Amino acid sequence: MSTAQPLTAAPTVPPPAAPAPATPPIVEIDKLDFFYGDKQALFDVTLGIPEKQVTAFIGPSGCGKTTLLRCLNRMNDLVDVARIGGGEIRIDGINIYDPRVDVIELRKRVGMVFQKSNPFPKSIYENIAYGLRLHGITHKSKLDEVVEKSLRGAALWDEVKDRLHDSGMGLSGGQQQRLCIARAIAVEPDVILMDEPCSALDPIATAKVEELIHELKNKYTIVIVTHNMQQAARVSDLTAFFYLGKLIEFAGTQKIFMKPSNPQTEAYVSGHFG
Amino acid sequence: MANDTQEPIAVTHSVRKQLLAPGKFRLFGKNRDWWIKQFFEGNAALSIIVLLLIVFTLFREAAGFMPGNRHNLEVYRLAGLEYVDIVKRETNSAAALGRELSATRLAWFEALRAEGLTSETANERLAPLDEIDTRLADATGPLRDIVSEMTDHAASVKERANVAEDMKEVRQNLRSGIKGADSQRAASLESQAAAVEIEEIDYATEIVALTSRLPEIQAANRALSAELGALAAALPRSDIPAVSKRLQRFAQALEEFRVGIPRVEGELVRWRADEPVGAFESFNAFLFGRTWVTASFWQDWYGVLPLFFGSFFISVLALAIAIPLGVCAALYVNQVARPAEQRFIKPYIEFIAAIPSVVLGFFGIAMLGETLRLVSQVPWLSWVPGFPMQERLNAFTAATLLALMAIPTIFTLAEDALQNVPKALREASFALGASRLQTIVRIILPAALSGITAAILLGFGRVIGETMVVLLCAGNRIAIPDFSAGLGVAFQPVHTMTGIVAQEMGEVVRGSLHYRALFMVGSLLFLLSLAVNYGAQKIVTRYRLPQS
Repeated sequence: MSTAQPLTAAPTVPPPAAPAPATPPIVEIDKLDFFYGDKQALFDVTLGIPEKQVTAFIGPSGCGKTTLLRCLNRMNDLVDVARIGGGEIRIDGINIYDPRVDVIELRKRVGMVFQKSNPFPKSIYENIAYGLRLHGITHKSKLDEVVEKSLRGAALWDEVKDRLHDSGMGLSGGQQQRLCIARAIAVEPDVILMDEPCSALDPIATAKVEELIHELKNKYTIVIVTHNMQQAARVSDLTAFFYLGKLIEFAGTQKIFMKPSNPQTEAYVSGHFG
Repeated sequence: MANDTQEPIAVTHSVRKQLLAPGKFRLFGKNRDWWIKQFFEGNAALSIIVLLLIVFTLFREAAGFMPGNRHNLEVYRLAGLEYVDIVKRETNSAAALGRELSATRLAWFEALRAEGLTSETANERLAPLDEIDTRLADATGPLRDIVSEMTDHAASVKERANVAEDMKEVRQNLRSGIKGADSQRAASLESQAAAVEIEEIDYATEIVALTSRLPEIQAANRALSAELGALAAALPRSDIPAVSKRLQRFAQALEEFRVGIPRVEGELVRWRADEPVGAFESFNAFLFGRTWVTASFWQDWYGVLPLFFGSFFISVLALAIAIPLGVCAALYVNQVARPAEQRFIKPYIEFIAAIPSVVLGFFGIAMLGETLRLVSQVPWLSWVPGFPMQERLNAFTAATLLALMAIPTIFTLAEDALQNVPKALREASFALGASRLQTIVRIILPAALSGITAAILLGFGRVIGETMVVLLCAGNRIAIPDFSAGLGVAFQPVHTMTGIVAQEMGEVVRGSLHYRALFMVGSLLFLLSLAVNYGAQKIVTRYRLPQS
C-alpha cells in the first residue's frame, strides 16, 4: 500500500484508499478533555492512531488539532495553565499522563517536527548528535553512523554530506525542515508528530518533505497537523476532522474527502468554510 | 495649473485649496513640522557637541603632561637625584635586612619563651644575634652618612631649580601685563620684571659634588662587603625548625645584598647626568611607572600602574562575584521562574541600580568592612587565605559592593539576551527528550552567549568607572597588590584610577604637572571604557543569531 506517491500526481486525486486499520492502534486517545485555564480546548476526543500509517489532523484554525498533537508528547506541560480535564492518552497501552511516566523517555519515543523549522545554532552534525548525546551516546563512530543514517533517512545526506560541520542555520528553509526531521528520527522514536511542517515552505520544498513522509511511514507512525487539505489528501492514510475542539469525523482519507458522512466535514473539505 | 479658468469642478478646486493652504502655525516662514524637526535635531546635535567638548578638554589638558613630565625627569637626572637614588637602593636594602633580622629575633625569642625560658635567659641566648644587628648597623653607617649628605645636596639643587622656574613664571606674568598698560606703568613693570632674579643653575658643576664621592662610596662598599661576609659566617644556628628557616632566609637575603653591591657600583660608574631623557620616557614613566608619589620633597612620580592594577583588580574581583549571581539570576528568571516570581524578582534586582553609590559606600564602611573584619577574626576561619584581615577597608570590601552595583546591569542585559533566544529552540530541545537543565546548559546558554558576554563587558565598564564606593571602601593605599600573598591578596587595600582623580583633583594647582597627570588618568579611564563598550557592541552584532 505504501509505495511513495509520485509528486506529479494531481493533488485532487487522493492516494489509494486506506482501509480501516486492521492493526490495533499504537496511540489511543480516550475521552480526552483539555483546558487552557478555564477555557476548554478539547471536548471528549476519542481516537485511535494505527501503527506505521500517516494520520492527518485537519480543521479550521483554533479547532484544537495542534493542541491534541502537543498532548501526545506532553509538550503542553510547558504551558503553565494547560491541564487535562478528563480522559487519557495511552501509547502502547500506557497512560502517558500517569505520574510514574518519565516525560523524557516519552519524548524520546514520540518525536516532534515543528511548524517553523528550528535547527539549533550549531553545526548540522551537532544538530543531529544533540539528541543522541542527551541520551548518553558519545562514541564518535556511533554518532557518525547515526548522523549519516538519519540524514539519509531525511533525504538530506547528499545535499549536506560535504558540509556537516557548517551551521545548520545556513541551510535553506526546506533543508532546515528536513534537518529537523533528521534530528527527530535520530533518536529512533516510534511516533513522529508533525505540526504543519510545510506551512513555511515553498512548493518544491513542500514536495520533498511530503515525499519524505511517504518513505518514513514504513518505519514510523506519523501524525501530521495540516491546514492544507490537498496535503492531507496526498500524504495521509487516515484523516481526522476537528471543529471547535470536537472530533467530528475520523476515517480513511479517501472516505473523508470523497464521501464524508458528516455534513460539517463535507462543508469543510469542499471549501465552504475554514 | 496653467489655466485656472479651466478648472472643471468646484469641489476639486476647494480640495486643492485645502491641500495648498498654509498651516496655521508659522514662524520665520517655517511651519510647525519644520520646527519640531529642528528641536529634535538640535537636541541630538547638542549632546554630540557636549561629548566632543568633554573629549577635547580631557585630551587637551592631558596633552601637557608629556613635556611636563619629561622636564620633571630631566631635572631629576640633572640635579643628581637619580644618582643618589641608586646609592639609596643599597641603604634601603640594608634597612630591610635590619627589619628581617628583628623579625627573626622576635620569632626566636618567642620560641625560646615557649620552651619555658625566662626572658633574661632568652635574651642572653640571643646575644649573638644582637651582636650581628649592631655590626650590621655599624657596617652600613658610613654609607648612610654619605647618602644623607648627598641627599641634602641634590635636594637643595632641585629646590633652587624649582625656585628658578617659579621666578621665570613671575617675570613672564609681569611682562604679559605690559601689553595694553600706559607707558609709565609699562616701564615700571619692565623694571620689576628685569629685577626678578633668576638663578641660572650650572648643573654640571653641581653634579661634581655628588659624583666626586664615588671613591668614598666604593671604599665604604668594600668595607661593607667584607663585613657582610663575616656576618654570614658568624650567623648563629637554631634547632627550632621555624627559626632555622627564618635564619636561612636571612642568610640568603644577606648574600643577595652582598652580591648586589658591585651591580650598584657599576650603575654609578656608568651613570651620566647629561644623558638625554627620551621622548617616550615620560610616557613610559606614566604608563609603566610603579610609583605614584605627589607633593614629595624629593621627587614626584606619576606611575599609573598601581592605580591601574587597583582598578583592574577590584573590577575582576567584583565581576567574579557578580557574574555568577547576575547570570544565574537571569537564567532563573527567564527559564525557570513562574510569571509571578518574574514580576517580583525583576524589579527587585533592577532596583539595586537605584541605590546611590555613596549610600553603598556608607554601608561598606559602617557595616560590611566591620562585619568582614569580625568574621575574619573567628579562629576556625583562619584557614581562609588572608584571614584575619589586616585592614577593614580593602579590595574585597569594595569589590563586594561593586558587584552589587554590577548585578543589575549584568542581570538585565543577560536576561534580554536569553529572552532573544527563540522559544522554538527550547521546544525543539524538550521535544528531543532533554531535561530543563540540559536545555539550559546545552542550547539556551550557548545561543545567548554573545549577549551574555556583552552584558559582562558592560558590567565591567560599569564597575571600572565607579568612583564613590572605591574611594570610600578600597582602603586607598597606592601600591601594586602583593600577589605573593596568594588568594589573600584580595584583602589588601588598593587605590584606583577613579579614586585618585576624585581625591586629588580638588587640591591640585591648576595647570601643574600633578593636575595634568590626573587628566592623563582620566583619559586612560575614558579610553578603557570606550574600548569595553565598543567591544561589547561588536560582540553583540557579530554573533547575533539570525533573526527570522
